Amino acid sequence: MGLSNGVIAMTKKNLISPIVGEVLNYLFKKPATGKYPFVKCTPAEDFRGKQVFDIALCVSCGLCSRDCPAKAIEMVDVNGKKRPMFLLDRCIFCYQCAESCPRNAIKSTEFFELATTNKSDLVLKPQPLDQKPGVSNVA
Amino acid sequence: MTSNNLDILKALEAKNFQIQIGKLGTAAIQAPVGKHRDALKILLDLDEKTAVTAITGIDLGASVGVYYHVRTSNSFVTIQCEVPKDKPTLATITDLVPGAAFHELEVTDLLGVVFEGHPNPGRLVLPDTWPEGVYPLRKDVKINEVKLNTPSSEDVKLSDGSGLVKIVIGPHHPALLEPEKFAVLVDGETVKKVEPRIGYVHRGVEKASESKTYLQDVYLVERICGICNSCHATAFVEAVEKILKTDVPPRAKYIRTIILELNRLHSHLLTLGHAGLEIGYETLFQYFWRDREPIMDLTEMITGNRVISSSLTVGGVRRDIKEADIPKIKATLTELRKKIPFYKQMYENEPSIRMRMQKVGVLAREDALKLCVVGPVARGSGVDIDVRKDEPYEAYGEIPFKEVVYTAGDTWARMNVRMDEVEESINIIEYALDHLPSGAYRVKVPRVVPPGEAVNRVEAPRGELFYYVKSNGTAFPERVKVRTPTFANIPAFLKTAIGESIADVPPNFVSLDPCFSCTDR
Amino acid sequence: MIDYLWLIFRVLVFPGFTFILFLTMFCDWIERKIEARMQNRMGPSFTGPSGILQPLADFIKLLTKEEITPNESRKSIFRFAPFFAFSVLIFALCFLPIDGASVIPNVSFGGDLIFVMALISVANFLLFLSGWSSSNPYSSIGAARVLTQFLGYDIPLLMLALAPAFLAGSLTIATIVARQWIPFVVLAPWAFIFFIITMQAELEKDPFDIPHAESEVVAGYETEYSGGKLAFLKLARDVQIVFGASLVTVLFLGGTNGPAFFGLPELWSTLWFVLKVVAVIVISEYMTVLFARLRIDQIVRANWKFMLPLSVLSLLLTIGLAVWVYPMV
Repeated sequence: MGLSNGVIAMTKKNLISPIVGEVLNYLFKKPATGKYPFVKCTPAEDFRGKQVFDIALCVSCGLCSRDCPAKAIEMVDVNGKKRPMFLLDRCIFCYQCAESCPRNAIKSTEFFELATTNKSDLVLKPQPLDQKPGVSNVA
Repeated sequence: MTSNNLDILKALEAKNFQIQIGKLGTAAIQAPVGKHRDALKILLDLDEKTAVTAITGIDLGASVGVYYHVRTSNSFVTIQCEVPKDKPTLATITDLVPGAAFHELEVTDLLGVVFEGHPNPGRLVLPDTWPEGVYPLRKDVKINEVKLNTPSSEDVKLSDGSGLVKIVIGPHHPALLEPEKFAVLVDGETVKKVEPRIGYVHRGVEKASESKTYLQDVYLVERICGICNSCHATAFVEAVEKILKTDVPPRAKYIRTIILELNRLHSHLLTLGHAGLEIGYETLFQYFWRDREPIMDLTEMITGNRVISSSLTVGGVRRDIKEADIPKIKATLTELRKKIPFYKQMYENEPSIRMRMQKVGVLAREDALKLCVVGPVARGSGVDIDVRKDEPYEAYGEIPFKEVVYTAGDTWARMNVRMDEVEESINIIEYALDHLPSGAYRVKVPRVVPPGEAVNRVEAPRGELFYYVKSNGTAFPERVKVRTPTFANIPAFLKTAIGESIADVPPNFVSLDPCFSCTDR
Repeated sequence: MIDYLWLIFRVLVFPGFTFILFLTMFCDWIERKIEARMQNRMGPSFTGPSGILQPLADFIKLLTKEEITPNESRKSIFRFAPFFAFSVLIFALCFLPIDGASVIPNVSFGGDLIFVMALISVANFLLFLSGWSSSNPYSSIGAARVLTQFLGYDIPLLMLALAPAFLAGSLTIATIVARQWIPFVVLAPWAFIFFIITMQAELEKDPFDIPHAESEVVAGYETEYSGGKLAFLKLARDVQIVFGASLVTVLFLGGTNGPAFFGLPELWSTLWFVLKVVAVIVISEYMTVLFARLRIDQIVRANWKFMLPLSVLSLLLTIGLAVWVYPMV
């Protein structure tokens, strides 16, 4: 805006505090904040959000559970084999589990809106292969 | 006066101290019980910038080791003492170095060593209801079995009969982000004395780290502080790499430097905004935090999360910086650089900022040296210490940058130090991005670390961060000792608040950038 | 009979109590929106279109919360001080001509400017009492600061308010408004500027914000209040801001004077009045956003060293101009 730019230039020369003009400048600009949750924001590409676990690749080594710093992975019995169950209320989303997994069975998604009033939503149980073939536990 | 390392070694050998070069810093000095004060006196006489960085207590079985880590202008030495467990007493050093008061109290609380002659004995990090005689960091104490005493039901007295009114700031107070208690005794509007009580956020991280593997400990120490999380992770993994004697590839060093400087940027912008809030300047607060958002987005792009990076590991970094991201990083930093002249002009010209911040909380240079302050608090009072220049780590030895020092010593000077460091951080990141070496970003390291010990220092946004790691050959560390910069800076606040108006306490306090999660661990 | 019903309508609905309440909430919304936009953020946006119902929502929310009275407080004063402060301010507003005549008809009398200024002091004193009666060190410090600030700044405020009285030749508000075919801001601009600054100190807005200083005394005199009493205390503060702006409008900007185009002249007078009050609030909010908060000793020193001599000088200048220069024009 012509008026506000002039005001800022004047204040720089006269050593008056620059905020006098800056504030008027911002009165007519779009705000920097957005109307979340009506306007969504997308996180970056490799954002560490909710986990997704591919049971077809799992070999039941248990390294994910052993290396988890927060004890958020428990090995439970599914059809005779031990599979990881993720407790998201303990998880710190460090993805050490994904790094330790020798078969890349754990991957991250960009989903971060995990707040819920139902605690059982935060437990990701491993689904056996015959019920849901291929990828399971998608949000 | 500054000293030469050779002079120190000659003077110590002349007094028959045993010295091991290269151990625990530049050198480790074995001091029999009672002789540690003499060794410290030699160091203090030779160099005016001698200061106690930390005092580590460690359970050695039949005895308790007390290590004094001392920094001078050019070196970093450790004075090692041992006291038997049935008679754990040592003479205090607070008359020589007043800044060591908090460190001694912590060793008393956690390991049971009594320092004779300490001016204010009492609890520091443990709650008042902790049972006597139970020292958490001793190996035979199991935390699950400790029972707290019942709290006393006395009322808090608001005045102690001396005519001074006690105003209690904290534990719940809008001026503090995290809980600590500062009882300020005022006479009218002038502060006469400040009585601190810290330890409200003590989570026992040092004890918890002894029961987790090294890989899990990286994530644990990262969460000691949210704002300077990468610095904690860096200090820990560097100490472990020193024990393992592995070299990290150059590309990992540069990426670590970039992540550390992004951390410093967002921390300084947070403090500058928070200082505005404390003096009632909401507009400045909103502007600074608006400019801080793109930095958080950059951190999210590089490491996967806005605040806690979880990107460092023993042997390198966990993720690489993609080539396609580098122009985006540079564009954001250029935008931020354009805003800096506006903020600097505000600090120079705005009358209400100058009225609230200049000549408030003045810390003279001699006091800064005696109280062993670190970080922007020291650099605002004319003491030029910066670990990135004194003992370069990661890629700082190869990147040119300026060390920012102001001499006024008041709140205004400290805020200006941080503002200039914002600009220097932008320069460092741009240089690192331009000169990023190619190659691997991670090497494989064994999970079991051979026995050894190492110390490491890192320049966190708030000052010098110190780690001591000892390993005993198993997959779990024997001892991890953390000394955070705010722990060293709080005694400075106790001194600068005296004689000023109570309305000056919040800006004074915020100018030393307190982070209590760091302080209490 | 019709007269009584008309009186009740005027006092309770328009332009009386209900209208003043809605005006207060509207001005509160304007204040928050302008402050937010200047700080480059959104402000209230979700309740109602553009957040215009936000002040009403805040008021209703506070009414539904639990009220806790501390054991050691002076209970009678603690309970009634907020309501009395609120009522005194509404009563003072009834003397200002909002739609061409004062709210309670025929109530203006000679010298009611002084009476209205005295009512401001009484309201401020009641706010001080509300802090003093809650036995809490933070409240007492906040209350003491309120007292220091408003007692100090009352003197320049009164002197600057006399400048338009001299220009109009009378101490009655209705006469001052009626004689402003040229608004007094043009005839005595120095008095206008100083009056706005002193009003900023009376209303406890930045840079004179110290009684509400969050970072030191938690919430000043409001610390121990909760629930309905807090709602009325906050409402009293908002009405105080509207009252200050109305006083500036009436004394310097010509009050309700303005062209009436069609329909009822009262509605046009009200519209001009509201527009001018909003303009004053925008100027006041601009000053709030620009500055940090000063310490109490700096505020007191600013009062006795600068504001008082300047207000005396401005009064003398205005009297000189009113007696010798303007009658010739």
